[in-house]
Amino acid sequence: MKQITAIIFLLSTGTAMAVDSPIVGQVQPKCSVYTETQGVYGHPLPNKLSTETADGGVAASIRYDIAQADYYKARITHPNSFSSSPTLTDAIAWTGSSVVGQVSVAGMSAYEAAKVTYNNVTEFDMTLAGSTWFTVKSSASYGYTKSLPAGNYTAIIKAECIAK
Amino acid sequence: MYSKVILFFLCLSLQAHAHEMTPTYPALAPSYIDGVSVAKMKLFNRREDVGYYQILVYTEDWLPISFASEEKIIKIGYNKTKSFNVYVRSVDLDKTVYICTVSKVFKGTNQIALVSSMICSKIKQ
Repeated sequence: MKQITAIIFLLSTGTAMAVDSPIVGQVQPKCSVYTETQGVYGHPLPNKLSTETADGGVAASIRYDIAQADYYKARITHPNSFSSSPTLTDAIAWTGSSVVGQVSVAGMSAYEAAKVTYNNVTEFDMTLAGSTWFTVKSSASYGYTKSLPAGNYTAIIKAECIAK
Repeated sequence: MYSKVILFFLCLSLQAHAHEMTPTYPALAPSYIDGVSVAKMKLFNRREDVGYYQILVYTEDWLPISFASEEKIIKIGYNKTKSFNVYVRSVDLDKTVYICTVSKVFKGTNQIALVSSMICSKIKQ
């Protein structure tokens, strides 16, 4: 009798349920804007600030991750004014550019030829899924042979990702 | 050796700071308030240098549209996700096209050049 009882208990423990425990995930069509390198202005001349490497600056690098092809366009605005600076009594001449750097898909290199530029804005049609790095350069020249007053200068690059 | 170098650069790239907003194509649905529609959005902040994002709503021609939300300037921590609702008057439904979030930069920061990121979703028509 004791043996039968023991066998019944053993059988009952042997009926443990196995349950699948799935890991679920979802990739939504989305755009992520990564600021990989914040730009830094070099000060090669008393009247000039520049992100060019030759001028001691660092160009900004912005990465766009696109999860779904042809859903977004990138719009990058390089600065045409300082968001904060000491009082300036003369005009600043601004130049800048936004170009395609590294790409995760070879076809993205075509973005550079197809880009649309107006004023200080550059638009790229993100027709492929993957990562694209954009290099943004900026330069500011103050008046004619005038020195920039001492103080803190801040300029803002605007990186937009707009659903089409 | 090469795999270690690749791993090192991968780790470096993980230091990047990201701004994300979903869905890409939100729908404006009737809200609990009569004559007001709502879109449910989600913001993800992986920018360590940014703690605030502003919500903006635009027409197709990038003209601003009046809207309401629990907070128009969203305070969000690093690596955090926040859901928010955007309420638009039903009379503005036809002209509402973009819902955007733009990162806000602190005034008086010591950084000389800054990147402001903006992501815009397009209303599903």
